[in-house]
Amino acid sequence: MATFGETKIDPKILEEIIKFSKNVTAAPKLVAAPDEIKLETTPYDVVYKEDKVRLLHYKPMTEKQLQTPLIIAYAIINRYHILDIHPKKSWVKNLLEQGLDVYMIDWGTPSNIDKYLDFDDYVNGYLNNCVEFVKDETNVDKVSLQGYCTGGTLSAVYSALHPENIKNFVATAPVIDGWRDTTVVSNLARHIDVDRMVETIGNMPPEFMYYCFSILKPFEQGVEKYVNFFKNIDNESFVDNFMRVEKWLSDTPPIPGELFRQWIKDIYQDNLLVQNKMYVGGKHISLKNIKMPLFTQVAIGDHLVSPECSMPLHYSVASEDKTLKIYPTGHVGMIASSLSQKKVLPELGQWLKEHS
Amino acid sequence: MKTESTKDTAEYYKHLSVFWTDLIHLMSSKPQALSSVGPMRNFAENAKKISKELIDANDDLVEFNNSLVEYYKQLTDTWNEAQKKVNFKVPEIPNDPEQFDAYKRVWIDIFDNDFTELFDSKKFGENYGKLVTKELDLTKHWNNIMNVMLHSANLPNKKEMDELYKEIHSLRKRIAKLEADSRGKPKTKKETDDGNVW
Repeated sequence: MATFGETKIDPKILEEIIKFSKNVTAAPKLVAAPDEIKLETTPYDVVYKEDKVRLLHYKPMTEKQLQTPLIIAYAIINRYHILDIHPKKSWVKNLLEQGLDVYMIDWGTPSNIDKYLDFDDYVNGYLNNCVEFVKDETNVDKVSLQGYCTGGTLSAVYSALHPENIKNFVATAPVIDGWRDTTVVSNLARHIDVDRMVETIGNMPPEFMYYCFSILKPFEQGVEKYVNFFKNIDNESFVDNFMRVEKWLSDTPPIPGELFRQWIKDIYQDNLLVQNKMYVGGKHISLKNIKMPLFTQVAIGDHLVSPECSMPLHYSVASEDKTLKIYPTGHVGMIASSLSQKKVLPELGQWLKEHS
Repeated sequence: MKTESTKDTAEYYKHLSVFWTDLIHLMSSKPQALSSVGPMRNFAENAKKISKELIDANDDLVEFNNSLVEYYKQLTDTWNEAQKKVNFKVPEIPNDPEQFDAYKRVWIDIFDNDFTELFDSKKFGENYGKLVTKELDLTKHWNNIMNVMLHSANLPNKKEMDELYKEIHSLRKRIAKLEADSRGKPKTKKETDDGNVW
């Protein structure tokens, strides 16, 4: 037993400390730097571009694909890479292997010139143009639309405004009912002076989002996670996955000022969407216009968009054919984990096959 | 809360600054008129705007500091309270690896719970809102000062750039609408072979 003054320390603890220090020292030799990691894993073509928005079309992995193509509207926070972050955890690859024809909207990186882009530009402009493009390309009248997180909100608004274009709507952790959201993010969103923010700085800077991330389980995420990383430095698969997710987390684009303003006011502060009182581009949004089949996915441990915030979509639409799935995981776990591969995606794929 | 005497002092210095910059400007305007097209002349004319911004910024800085102090007080109080809970639950730090891991788990759970409760509270939200607002007010003063300097150098300032962005946004919308109208359906732009977007 080693002693320091009066304190006796178990040699096993000393051994752990020494091992941990060695791991920290060895880390740079064993792990690639975030900049050296390429996040995209599944091949695609850029089939459509508008301003900074790109529409990606993933190369098929099966001989035949389902007739109705799927467009994924990713969130406006962070980037679409999380849906294709690792071959073994790729949302996109799994769907391709199930025979889906998959398109993804990459919203790009808005700069100061984009500060006046608003909900109308995103929904009736970019999203609508992507849908029209895919309809033309694939010769279909309607597409399946999946929206993740804030992309779920954009997709809900789109489905309410353009139901004629949407055959199936998949909402994955959508932000719908801001007043019911129990996350710390919604608490901050309710208390910021968004008008002053947009007038003074224009686009919402990524640093603001990083602050929001940092107060989500700060000790688990800010301390324990990194301790585990160094403890598992020899575990190639663990380290690879860790670095990919970390790189993704630290790469969020700014949000156009006007879009952010309407987002905070209409969704979090005044909660207009779920009350059917929201207007986009001068048009009234009623969730009752959503009559197409709806598949809502929520995660019970979601600390970014609480299930209470997402689930009201299921109860607010007029769809007769609707399914609500609740998974025992978190916001990212639902889309990029072994659970998503084994349970979430097979259930989604099956549902889409039945509705194609 | 700002006292009357603090207000009076700030007003006095603001007046003093404006008075002397105005007076010096009036006294020196004729000989300096020779350099009227140069940036320094332009800057001299606008110097009082900078003085005024700095004095106003001082008021906002005081309020920003008050909110910042409250912000750190909330964090410190929560930390102390969480540590007390940990000490109550596990009075002594265990001395073997397995129990130490359990101790660490308890520590993290209690700290995460207490801090999440704080971040979710109205008092934190309100103070955070004030803190961000005051930071934005300071940013606005900084922007105003930069606007004066850029104007002095005959460069476009933030306000002028904003007007330009707004005009470009409006033009984009008009073009998209014209394109859609000309096709008789919602617009799409396909990439051409050379990569240009139409």
